[in-house]
Amino acid sequence: MAKKTILVVDDAPIVRLMIKDIAEYNGYQVIAEGANGNEAVEKYKELKPDIVTLDIIMPQKDGIEALQDILAHDPEARVVMVTAIDQRDSLMKAIRLGATDYIVKPFENERVVSALSNAAK
Amino acid sequence: MEENSKLLRAIRLVAQLSVDASSRLLSKMIKAGARISIDRTYMADVSEVTAKIASEVDDVAGAYIDLVGEVPFKFLFFVKVEDSLLLTDMILQRTPGSTKEFNLYAQSAVQEIGNIISSAISNIFSKDFNIALKPTPPTVIRDYAGVVFSEYLLDVAANDNEVFIVETVFNVIEKNIDCYMFLLPSGDKKVLEKQLT
Repeated sequence: MAKKTILVVDDAPIVRLMIKDIAEYNGYQVIAEGANGNEAVEKYKELKPDIVTLDIIMPQKDGIEALQDILAHDPEARVVMVTAIDQRDSLMKAIRLGATDYIVKPFENERVVSALSNAAK
Repeated sequence: MEENSKLLRAIRLVAQLSVDASSRLLSKMIKAGARISIDRTYMADVSEVTAKIASEVDDVAGAYIDLVGEVPFKFLFFVKVEDSLLLTDMILQRTPGSTKEFNLYAQSAVQEIGNIISSAISNIFSKDFNIALKPTPPTVIRDYAGVVFSEYLLDVAANDNEVFIVETVFNVIEKNIDCYMFLLPSGDKKVLEKQLT
């Protein structure tokens, strides 16, 4: 069975690497990374990954705007939001807009796996 | 001038609540116990404290963050560069010593620790004091400790001769890494006192 593909978007390289390590260890294939919302939308359109992990606070275009653009392009997109503890309002907005699941930083490996698994269904 | 006002006590309470939350988040992030203690809450003469700190020549990596809102604060986190490499390995669950230079990931580790602690602080303000504060994206800097600290004090020192400072140390228990955090009110003291006391 083909591996589910993932686009990881976060402005922090260390967070991208953490998510990539966890995802690949658990059988997913990270096909691209992005550092801001514009890259998220461009790479989604280009690569059509099965799952996107999307940080909320990012430069240029934030995760909420990128989520809206991705869902406008593909209403079936599976997007997992990545957020810090104080961003509850933004997170609730993302869920109302159609995000599939969320991860709160700092995260445990199991929570990332669970969110990816929910998004892959 | 130690703890001689209601405001200092209130700031110390905010710091204690923040420290408790940060301790839990940091332990989770670095997958090891992090013990955080508030070293001092004090009101200091800007020129004295700058002179004292300016003599510190440790090579450190730090993250500055502004907490923007009705009662703004400035936040600084820093750690010796050699220890930032160990923290990077811990966050990435790599063998200690794998990160050998202050690379993109080490910079990002310092940035993320700053992000997570400042988020914990703004969450405490919002939850316990009903004060909305928004952390700005961190600015990461590598320099002598004295330079990093002087830069941090710069804006506030331009407007005030005395500053409140909460000085906090956290120790990563397994590795004995000391990290330093400072929280500094940067707005009008009267507004701050009204909101916190």
